[in-house]
Formats: sequence, structure tokens, C-alpha cells
Amino acid sequence: MIAFAASLRYEFRMQVRKRSVWIVPALTLVLFLLIGGSLLRDLFDPDEVPPEAKTAVTALAVQVYALLTIGFGCLLADRLVRDDRLRVAAILDATPARETARLLGKYLGAAAATAVPILVVYLGFTVAYAIHSHHPSAIGWAAAALGLVFLPGLLFVAAFALAVPLIMPAPLFRVLFVGFWLWANLVAPEQIPTIAKTVLHPLGGYPLTALLGFHGIDGRDSWAGPVPGATLNFLRPHPTPATAWLSIGVLLVLAAAALTSAHLGKRHAD
Amino acid sequence: MRPLTLWRYEASRVGWTAALGPPLAIALGTAAALVNPLAQDTARILLGGLEMVIPLAAAVACASIVGHDPAVELQLSAPTQYRSTVLRRVTVTLGWTAAVAAATAVVLIATGWWERWPANHGPFVGQLTWIAPTLGLSGLGFAAGCLFRSPAAAGALVTTVWAIQQFFGDAAQRSRPGRLLYLFATTRGSEPRDWTANRLTLAGAGAGLIVLALIVLGRKERLIGEEDE
Repeated sequence: MIAFAASLRYEFRMQVRKRSVWIVPALTLVLFLLIGGSLLRDLFDPDEVPPEAKTAVTALAVQVYALLTIGFGCLLADRLVRDDRLRVAAILDATPARETARLLGKYLGAAAATAVPILVVYLGFTVAYAIHSHHPSAIGWAAAALGLVFLPGLLFVAAFALAVPLIMPAPLFRVLFVGFWLWANLVAPEQIPTIAKTVLHPLGGYPLTALLGFHGIDGRDSWAGPVPGATLNFLRPHPTPATAWLSIGVLLVLAAAALTSAHLGKRHAD
Repeated sequence: MRPLTLWRYEASRVGWTAALGPPLAIALGTAAALVNPLAQDTARILLGGLEMVIPLAAAVACASIVGHDPAVELQLSAPTQYRSTVLRRVTVTLGWTAAVAAATAVVLIATGWWERWPANHGPFVGQLTWIAPTLGLSGLGFAAGCLFRSPAAAGALVTTVWAIQQFFGDAAQRSRPGRLLYLFATTRGSEPRDWTANRLTLAGAGAGLIVLALIVLGRKERLIGEEDE
């Protein structure tokens, strides 16, 4: 337990002080604002903002999470292989700290630190919106979105970002990860077989629909459930609170499986 | 060391991402085209592999060139300038990408898939479909890599720029500057009249960013300072 806490604290402090952890989300935010068409600007435009606070902050969560998670995954991709690259893995293995505790500490510490700028952006805009529009309930809905969408999704991405670079170079993982993110979240299921709108949807289609009652900014979009003419519809049950919790559980189980594979892979390599 | 030996050595230093990225990009683009049930979209997806995935693979590889050398101080003291070394790696990376993309384009032209996409711009000028976004995005990746000296940060920036233009394609093309810098003007462009200007702008921006990166690399003290590990 001490090894886990120490590893978590050290990895968090090391990662949160990296300039790139702050530069990448900041530049993303600038690009996002320059392009326009996003809720970062529309939240404060009376003609564009959704009338309900719940819809506004949930839609903001979807946009911020969908975009900033790409940098999140890319920045974490070198964390686990770094110990080998700096030739300190053998020294760490020689310490009494168990490898499992160090791996969990590294995973949670590095992921939490890399998520800090994302949360700052999301909560910052939410608080500004709550004050500007006199909707204090927005902060409560944002907290719900953080727990139901951001948390499982970021834990899922972080586990694979740490594990996959053990079997391929980190830059190649970055290329494949952004392709995966696009395929898993943006591709229409009726065009190409995809996990979008399934219980595996990394964007959290089921929690968004069944737990947050979100159906797009205009209230007419479908984020989960069967799609006529699409393949993989057996992974798209009708959205209910039970299937939403199942979707969150599946993402967390997949994250645990990725971490376990990384642990076993490292032990085998040693 | 003979120049050819230097080129051979730098080709071995660019890594698996530069070697595997372009063929993998073409394989993924072809697989997406094969599984797509809408016949009218097949040609667009095949050209999209060249316009979208090839530039991404090349750009992330270029973003990862600076920041990996374990003893850069030794390289800085060698008669061969580090700038020349890095430029060789960029040339090898982009050269291999161009070879894979050109071979794919020849196959698409020979099989008739190229002309099935209405906005193909012909077999010769149409090659700007992949040349311009590859140069533009790779230039950005290389410049970011030289500025940050962190492949993670540079790779994250490149993938994010690419993804923003995918997720917000319509919003990105609402203004003329946005249309001129839009990476996917051939397969997702909203204004066909802007295509040539868009391609030349991207290629020019890429070349300019590579020159900027080489100027940054000339400041040797930056390379031996604190690394963003």
C-alpha cells in the first residue's frame, strides 16, 4: 500500500509538472476556439446556447472529452516504456516495492495528472456558464458527467495507452490511437462496422443517453441502441440505466484487462 | 563516413513508425473501403486513405525524430551538423511515405478507382491530394518536435489538429483561411474552387515550417538543455 501511494504521488507530481501536459491542451483549446462551431463559444451566445443547463454542460462534456482525450492518450503513451528507455527499470525492480503496486500507482498517478488540464478546461467553462446564465444546477450536472463519462473513458484510454506501447513503438500507437478514436466514435455504424453506439462506445453513448438523458444539442440525436442496417447490433441493446452501468463496467473491465496484460507482458520480458 | 553510409544509417534510425506507418495506413484505408457497403463511397474512401491516413502516419513519424538521441552532445560535437542528420531522417521518412503513396496512386489510376471520385483533379495534378497534406502536417509535426523536443507533445499536437479537422470539418471550412488550411479538401472539401489554392498553401506552409524547424535546430544550446521527460 505504501509503495502504491508513493508511486502514485511521485508519478502524479512528475507528470503534472511536464510542460507538454499543459501546452497540448492549451493549443487544442486555442484551435478549438479559432475554428468556432463549438460550445466553448456558443455557451455564451444567447442565440446558440441550449435552453437547458443539463443539455448545455453535457454537450460541452462530449466535445471537450472527445477532443482533449486524443492528446491525453498520446501524452501517456511513453509512460510505461519510459523506465526501460531510461534504464531505471532494473533498479526499481530491485526495490522491495511490488511491481503490481508500482504499475497501479504509475497508471493512476500519470492518468490523473494528465487529466488535470482537461478537468480544468471543463469545470472552468462550466462555472463560467453557470455564473453567466444563472444556472447553478449546471455544476451538479457537470459533476455527474465527470463521473459517468470522463472517469470511465479516461481510465479506459489510459490503460491502453500504457499497455499497447509495450508491443509497438509509442509513435505508431499514437497514429493507431487517433484512428481508433475516430473509428470508435465518429464513423456512422450503417457505413462501416464500428463500436460507436455500442456498450463498448468509448464516448459513453449509453451513460449519456440512459443516465444523463442526453440526445444531442438539438435533442434529436441517438447516441446508443440499435441502428437499422448496421452490423454489431448485438452489442447495441436498448439503452436503459442497467445497460448504461453495464457499458461503464465493460470499459473498466477492458482497462483492467489491458493493465493485467501489460503486467504479465513485462514479467515475461524480464 | 561516406555519404551513402550516412543515409543508410539514418534510414535505420527513423524507426518502425516511419517504416510501417505508410503501408499500414494504406492497408487500413483499403480495409475501410472494402467493408463499406455503400458502393458510391468506395472511391472516396480509397482516395481518403491517401489524403487522410498517409499524412497522419508521416507527420507523427516526423514529430518523433528529435528527442530520441541518447547522446546528442556527442552528435553536436561531430563534424556532421546535427541539423543535417535530422534533415536526412526527415527526407528518408517523407521519401518512403511518397514511394508508398505514389505506388498506391498508380494502382488506383490503373484500376480506374481514381477517376471514379468526381473531384480527382486528374492523374498528375491530382497527386497533390496526398503531397500537400503530407507536407503540411509533417512540417507541423517536425517543427513541433524541434520546438518541444518531446515526441509525445509533438505527436499529440499533430493528432489533435488532424482530429479537429475530422470532427469539425464543416466549421473548419466556414472561413477562407480555414478552407486554405483544410487538410482534406479533395475528399471532404466544401469549395472545389479553393482546391488549388488550398493545396499550394498547405505545401508552402509545410515547407516553411520545415525551414523554421531547421533554424530552431541551429540553436544547439536548446538541444542539450532540460528534456521534457
